Amino acid sequence: MAKKKSVKKQADLPLRSDTSEKVKLTLRDKKTIGSLTNLADTVVASAQKTKDPRLEIPTRSLSNVRYNKSQRILEMGKNTTARQLFNLNQAKSYMQTMLAAAGCKRLVESGKTTSIRGLYYLMKHTIAGTKEETFSDQAESDPIIEDLEVLLESLREELHLYAQQRGSMVGNIILNDKGDTIDCSRMGSGGYGIPSIVEADVIQFRECGADFVLHVEKDTVWQRFNEDKFWKKHNCILTHGSGQPPRGVRRLLHRLHNELKLPIYCVFDNDPWGYYIYSVIKQGSINLAYESKRMAVPEAKFLGLRAIDYERCNLNPSVQIALNDTDRKRAKQIAKYPWFEQKKTWQKEIQKLLDNGFKLEVEALISQGLSYVTDVYVPERLEDRTWLD
Amino acid sequence: MSTIEAEMTTPSSPKTKRRATAETMAKSQREISVSEFFAKNRHLLGFDNPRKALLTTIKEAVDNSLDACEEAGIVPEIWVHVEQTGVNRYKAGIQDNGPGIMKKQIPLIFGKLLYGSKFHRLRMSRGQQGIGISAAGMYGLLTTGKPVKIVSKVSIRKPAHYYELRINTKTNDPEILDGIDIDAGEKGHKYIADHGIEWVTHYDPKTPDAKPAELRSGTRVTIELEAKYQRGRGSVDEYLEQTAIANPHVTIHYLDPENNLRLYSRSTRKLPPEPIEIKPHPYGVEVGRLITMLKETPETTISGFLTNSFSRVSNGIAKQICEGAKIGTRTHGKKLTRDDIEKLYHSIQATKISNPSTDCIVPIGEELLLKGMHQVVPAEFYCAATRPPSVYRGNPFLIEVALAYGGAVETTKITKELLKELLSESDARTVRQFLINTFNGLGADAADKITKASKMGARKSPGKLKPREIDALFDAMQNVNVNEGQSMNVLRYANRVPLQFSQAGCAITQSITSMNWRSYGLSQSRGNVPSGPVTLMVHMASVWVPFTSESKEAVASYPEIQKELRLGLQAVGRKLGMFLRKRQLVKQQADRRSIFLRYLGEVATAVSELNGCDRQSVYDNLMAVAQKKTAEADMKLNSSGKLVDETEDFGDNVLIVEKTTEELLNRPGANGEPDDDEPLNDGSDEAFDEMEDE
Repeated sequence: MAKKKSVKKQADLPLRSDTSEKVKLTLRDKKTIGSLTNLADTVVASAQKTKDPRLEIPTRSLSNVRYNKSQRILEMGKNTTARQLFNLNQAKSYMQTMLAAAGCKRLVESGKTTSIRGLYYLMKHTIAGTKEETFSDQAESDPIIEDLEVLLESLREELHLYAQQRGSMVGNIILNDKGDTIDCSRMGSGGYGIPSIVEADVIQFRECGADFVLHVEKDTVWQRFNEDKFWKKHNCILTHGSGQPPRGVRRLLHRLHNELKLPIYCVFDNDPWGYYIYSVIKQGSINLAYESKRMAVPEAKFLGLRAIDYERCNLNPSVQIALNDTDRKRAKQIAKYPWFEQKKTWQKEIQKLLDNGFKLEVEALISQGLSYVTDVYVPERLEDRTWLD
Repeated sequence: MSTIEAEMTTPSSPKTKRRATAETMAKSQREISVSEFFAKNRHLLGFDNPRKALLTTIKEAVDNSLDACEEAGIVPEIWVHVEQTGVNRYKAGIQDNGPGIMKKQIPLIFGKLLYGSKFHRLRMSRGQQGIGISAAGMYGLLTTGKPVKIVSKVSIRKPAHYYELRINTKTNDPEILDGIDIDAGEKGHKYIADHGIEWVTHYDPKTPDAKPAELRSGTRVTIELEAKYQRGRGSVDEYLEQTAIANPHVTIHYLDPENNLRLYSRSTRKLPPEPIEIKPHPYGVEVGRLITMLKETPETTISGFLTNSFSRVSNGIAKQICEGAKIGTRTHGKKLTRDDIEKLYHSIQATKISNPSTDCIVPIGEELLLKGMHQVVPAEFYCAATRPPSVYRGNPFLIEVALAYGGAVETTKITKELLKELLSESDARTVRQFLINTFNGLGADAADKITKASKMGARKSPGKLKPREIDALFDAMQNVNVNEGQSMNVLRYANRVPLQFSQAGCAITQSITSMNWRSYGLSQSRGNVPSGPVTLMVHMASVWVPFTSESKEAVASYPEIQKELRLGLQAVGRKLGMFLRKRQLVKQQADRRSIFLRYLGEVATAVSELNGCDRQSVYDNLMAVAQKKTAEADMKLNSSGKLVDETEDFGDNVLIVEKTTEELLNRPGANGEPDDDEPLNDGSDEAFDEMEDE
């Protein structure tokens, strides 16, 4: 009994301090709290019937992802995975899911948001009477949070969570961010950091003079384009997502495309990972297929780099990076995805990459001149309209 | 060539002296007495070294005592006293409450080799050749010059006889040095006390204040011999312990040279049924034996000879045999030629003769095996199997197997003082070797673990350890988990006599190593005895146990014997497998429950935080589910996916002891503590209330 009491104390203390301030809950917050309470009610109900409490979590894997051909996005299937408390392999993750739910409720009630890392620290403690930690590292808590999102059909921001900010924007657009007006054409060399939550209640578009959005893979390439003032010359918005773009960047691209009708063009490295980043922006990701509807941009175009660019741009042989086994495996995997399988141009592209036996980074174009990519490569592609769809 | 020629031509030359002639050689050619032969070849009888000599002496005497008691229908009580009388000199006294020996037989039995009652008959008994005890006396005489002292008493009213004997090795005849009659009753007791004659006159009293009962009859032999007393494998202690296991009707009082009294109490007063003497079975007779038997037979016809000298030969069978050998049934036995006898022999082998009757074999019995094991080996699980009798080469035999699993390891049973003593006694060269030799069932792996844990050099001599190192070794022995590295402890018996040597050459060991014990839940490397805290006892009972050598240390492997051994081992193996699987399940259940319990508190807290319900009631409800779940899950499936019946039936003769280790260690008899259990009282049977007799 002593053990249990100590647990309670530990858990209660922060809760009290959080709820002591009166917080006005929005309608959305109330809905979130309602679904969190429901979750707990099911546990109580099954426990009272001495039944095994279980959670039916929609499966987040390729097997439960369907490519919607008409909408050209990935959709989540109906498969669920049971998570039971009384199953040796699932007991811990069940406990973690409940902890995450309790943590989110605390956040919502106190009207604060935190990073998923913050939530990890909020939930992490030693289980009473043992030496075991509830979570050993953040890699353990992140998928649990995603599980909770799909389980409650709540978005991350509804749970008052945000991810680490990654990705920047610069260009001919003025927007409001939590009441502040941001002119993205006057952001200096750093650009506007795209926040994790970019919903309409946070960010409103005020003025946009841009004709299109150029999304590049990473910061270093983005710097080149920004320094050369590419966005000024070509009247566009320039974004990057530090590799695989976080949800904030993807959601923003979606809004820019759908609300401002801007076409999205992408410039990524010529390797399987570049292809998949494009795929995520275009169709949505397998892991977060339930969010495709509000994130995917099926009209996004793939400008480059292409496997044929080595010859097309007369690149120096020393810029080649040999494909390794994982690259080859991943390339073949991507070629098999239903949304790539039907496209002959993409099959050709991937085959060419495999035939080349090497990958190319965007920076490789530098061998043709420092500003070759901004002065020649991208304008030429836009001119020719030779992109992959 | 030339030198030989020279020798031949000059016979008188000093270089070529003639060495011996047929005549001179004839002078030194004479009969060798059996005693002389064995005096020189003592190793044939088990007197190869001082340590084994002590064991053999006690073993022969105890075996004889038990045979005599059982034949006379007396519940045996044996006293074994070993006393050190000098450097490498010990006095061994063995007394029984048997029928005693008639005055005129005493000198012959103890002072003449190859004199006995057991050699000429086919009957299950411990001793067979009639060499043992007189050879022990002879060995004592040769090494110390002291005569054998015998006290024997045949009745409570008749006087006891006291003899001092020595064997004349030249003539194989006894020489009586001293012989007196001691009066019966108080007068005699006084005489015994006054003259220092070694004789236990009374049983231990039933209760401390009761009047002790007087010994009605019995025999005591005391032999002083050059010997070495050492505990551990192949020791007197081990022999007596193992004897107690296989003979649960025997009580042994053992006083070792360090004056520790150890009592192995009987667990039953029921004597084994008397074995019946049988005639040889025709299949087991060789040509040579057939010739001798034909020479000696009083029968006049072959048919009569066959039917009366052998078991299972009727007139019809005799006729068949004769026909097969093309000999008339009425031919006179003495008229047969060598060729005829050979034909007769082959005809016997070709004729179908039913197996000998097997009632001449007395098994220990599954129940008594369990009792015996339980009395001496502390363990958690016991089971036993007695196979039906079978026949090899015309000799009936029977295999019994008993198994004990779990319990304390030998290395944890000893005290630091005892360890110090053992270390000083040991003649092993390294500590590792010392551990393996001293502790039964401790395999090389376990010994390695212990030496490693005690941080001792690999080649450290056990005699030269510093006190600090002994402490480290003792700690390691207590704390290192050697259950895994432990190898199965095999106790082999032939006609209830423990076999302590030649383990590798024995059919019993070979059967154990060739069996796959992994399917019964033990780990085993190929061609080795399995490992684990297991004691396995295998008993072969037969009218004639086929030993591989005269020293009676190993059973020869006949296919029939191997088959029976395998079946017996499989029978106990299956039961062990069931027990281990069940225990595994129980362990899994406990593990599962502990994992669930660990998270229940967290889940309850989170739930009460989410919907504001009472945390304690959620916790209690979840706990109830957990208990239901874990109980259910364990009933459902076992490791092989089969439905497990909770009330699993192990079958007959399984004993499961659910005791703590301390209780097991405090068992009387197992730790050398004297026990006041009165031998005439059958109180020890009460200890078996937990036996599962279904």
